[in-house]
Amino acid sequence: MQYPWWYVPHLTAPMLIAVISVVHVLVSHYAVGGGLFLAVETAHAHKTGDRPYLDYLRGHARFFILLTVVFGAITGVGIWWTIGLTSPLATETLIRTFVFGWATEWVFFVVEIVSAFIFLYYWDRLPTRTHTIVGWIYAIAAYISLVLITGITAFMLNSGTWATRPGDDTFWMAFFNPQFLPQTVARTGGALLLSSLYVYLHASFFARDERLRNMIAARSARPALLGAILITAGGIAWYCQLPPSAAATLQSAAVLNLLTALIFALTIIVFFLIYVGPYRNPGWLSPGFAGSLCLFGIAAFSTGEFIRESIRKPFVVHNVVLGNQIAPTEVLTLKKSGFLQGGLWTRAFVKEHYPDVFSDRAIPPWHIVKMNPDTQRRDAAGPSPMAARNALAAGIQNERLLALPYKDRLKLGNVLFLHHCNDCHAADIGYSAVGPLLQGRPRDQVLARVERLDDNYFMPPWSGSHEEAILITDYLMTINPARPVGVRHFMKEQDQSREEDTE
Amino acid sequence: MIDPRMLVEHGQAVGLPAPVWFIQFFKALGFTLHAVPMNLWYAGLLVALLLRWGQSDHGRLFGSRLLRQMPVIVALGVNLGVVPLLFIQLAYAMFFYPATILMAWFWIAIIALLIPAYYGVYAYAWGIRNGADRLPTWRTAAGWIAALFFIVIGFTFANGLSLMDHVGRWPKLWLAHQHAGAALGTALNVGDPTLWPRWLLMFGLALGTTAAWVVFDAEWFARRATDPSYRRWAWGFARKLYALSLIWTAAAGVWYVFGTWSSELRDTMFHGPLLPLTLATALAPGLGCTLLIAVGWMPAKRLATAAVLLGQFGVLGINAVSRQVVQNVNLKPYLDVLAQPTDVQWGPLVMFLVTFVIGLLVVAWMIAQVRKCDA
Repeated sequence: MQYPWWYVPHLTAPMLIAVISVVHVLVSHYAVGGGLFLAVETAHAHKTGDRPYLDYLRGHARFFILLTVVFGAITGVGIWWTIGLTSPLATETLIRTFVFGWATEWVFFVVEIVSAFIFLYYWDRLPTRTHTIVGWIYAIAAYISLVLITGITAFMLNSGTWATRPGDDTFWMAFFNPQFLPQTVARTGGALLLSSLYVYLHASFFARDERLRNMIAARSARPALLGAILITAGGIAWYCQLPPSAAATLQSAAVLNLLTALIFALTIIVFFLIYVGPYRNPGWLSPGFAGSLCLFGIAAFSTGEFIRESIRKPFVVHNVVLGNQIAPTEVLTLKKSGFLQGGLWTRAFVKEHYPDVFSDRAIPPWHIVKMNPDTQRRDAAGPSPMAARNALAAGIQNERLLALPYKDRLKLGNVLFLHHCNDCHAADIGYSAVGPLLQGRPRDQVLARVERLDDNYFMPPWSGSHEEAILITDYLMTINPARPVGVRHFMKEQDQSREEDTE
Repeated sequence: MIDPRMLVEHGQAVGLPAPVWFIQFFKALGFTLHAVPMNLWYAGLLVALLLRWGQSDHGRLFGSRLLRQMPVIVALGVNLGVVPLLFIQLAYAMFFYPATILMAWFWIAIIALLIPAYYGVYAYAWGIRNGADRLPTWRTAAGWIAALFFIVIGFTFANGLSLMDHVGRWPKLWLAHQHAGAALGTALNVGDPTLWPRWLLMFGLALGTTAAWVVFDAEWFARRATDPSYRRWAWGFARKLYALSLIWTAAAGVWYVFGTWSSELRDTMFHGPLLPLTLATALAPGLGCTLLIAVGWMPAKRLATAAVLLGQFGVLGINAVSRQVVQNVNLKPYLDVLAQPTDVQWGPLVMFLVTFVIGLLVVAWMIAQVRKCDA
């Protein structure tokens, strides 16, 4: 609540993380698995004195550096950039918890960069043994960086008892969270599998010698198959270690059911194709076959990442930061004081544009009147006793919000929507837009839904006052389209009688 | 108008996981380590491209050499930038995040510009590596576009970090670039008088670092591939380039300090315990230039150029320390960064330090192997 919110129309700001991180993950796993491939295969080629293979590996190392050191490294920095802009509270919390995990990972990045360049630029210049050692230094450093970052991202999905049991809020409890081992196993498998697929694709284009191509296909098949097995084993353990909310989300959302089935299907397809292709028939490795295999692998990987991100709801960091950048510990306070009052930037906005709702701008309590939310007219009953009491307290007086003209209530409703909901929802058109989600619902249902937001366990609780719920409902009703025409034609008579009863 | 103090969080529920001095030290050290390679792509790339464009054979040779080295330089620079980025988000989060969110589209554009700039560097460098003297137009264009992008990136960084230091500018920029209170991410801090001299100051320092690199490269890496006339040219060119750096830095520095600092900041930096730091920062580029001229006559050239590069590291280091002190002074009305509570994670801290030392040893071993191989 202490940071401004970045409004990205239609897409929502956090979706930028998804765009960058999926692209990054597809390269970063290759940075790890490809490093192992280069270390093992260069050692093998040196040992057997296979000159054509060494020449191929040199070309592959160049491709590897161009992809991982440039694109992989900068998209990795890009993730940092984006999470800081779109989830500042979560990022700050993670950095405070894991700063030395990240700092240690950075040391391994330095070792990776130096060893990768020496490995490539000193090819045929370093003694064979030294060259092989440098390749292994890269591979080990890259793998440790995978383990370190997995500890941090796994914490986001299941923080274990870190946030709930006193004394457990240590770095080590955070790092060795219940998801650490399953995700490390799965990501190790992912690195092995994905890098083999990239190797196949590269070799199908650049290894022109048939003997060489067949050898690469055969030698990379075993790590690829092992990778698929590790992904499956890690995936099962991952499922078993999901927090209950994530497991329930995975089971209940139809789209996630489909994606889970898809990821299993894709993994089986990739496993089968590797087995019958490179493993049993290395000669099949053509650009078309390798390209298809790579696309299947990328599709499986992207699906897995999407599922992993989707099921964290209602948290962005499990039990620590809610999806809308609120700490769970803040919720009760915000319900009492009001969401606008609780946020530094929302409070400043209200103070600038609506100073009259602040208690330091004296409005006598008896001037505060209740508004009828349906008619937008003033109630004759006058101020409530609660309103009178609130008016004397400091900061935004929630009762006064309802005394604002309708257009200002809509404006503040929009402020509330952007700061409370826009992390996951566009307004009327776009990613998971709220308008279509509420389409046709009457006002009382929308208001009830707002105030009992966490009746859906994957939604964060409503973190504002009752008056603010009314304001955001005002706004939501303006982006809530009418029920599609013709949907209830068979219930026309019942609807008419209900309307008559209401009147 | 909104009181900017309303926009800064004062109390953190959790203390900093490291002592404040530790964070300040690694932030300044990390920035200095990052600044050396960053300076080489910031001003050095432009200098190299201009030299390759010019008529001097030696100049063209140096330009080619630096451009061939550039992919490694950029990789190291980006990597070393992680440390200050990490520690700035740790101790200055309440200033860093709002400032960058206000200019989010420009801030994220840094990544979008950095990727093509880096590939542009590779395109140019690998063109030279293939032995071509005249490069295809697309490779030449890629190099120039990369140089332009790096300068734009530098300008964007200067924007973000100057905005972070000047909380007083937030309300106006925010209110001019918001939708229902949410930042549009389209604000730029161009109205801040400190932005321009800060940006120019870094470019001036970058020219000095490039000058130091010219002689270091000539004596350490180019010795076998070149004749003495090239090294003579290198020393002469480096002196001229450093002189330009000195004039540039002095002009931008005077503008920055006397044209944009508040009287309170000047009082703080020119009196009491901070006066020696301010004077040392002002004099450091002059000392760097003097060192370059003085050691040029030494017979032990390698040692001399190592001293020049180390001296330039000192110039950048003292500048980084001063920047940090000025930053802390500017932010003090909103939050005393140095007085934040701590809850030190000793175990992970030791893990990092041990890994850091081991990492340095591994890197040193690899460099020793390379040196042995080159010899």
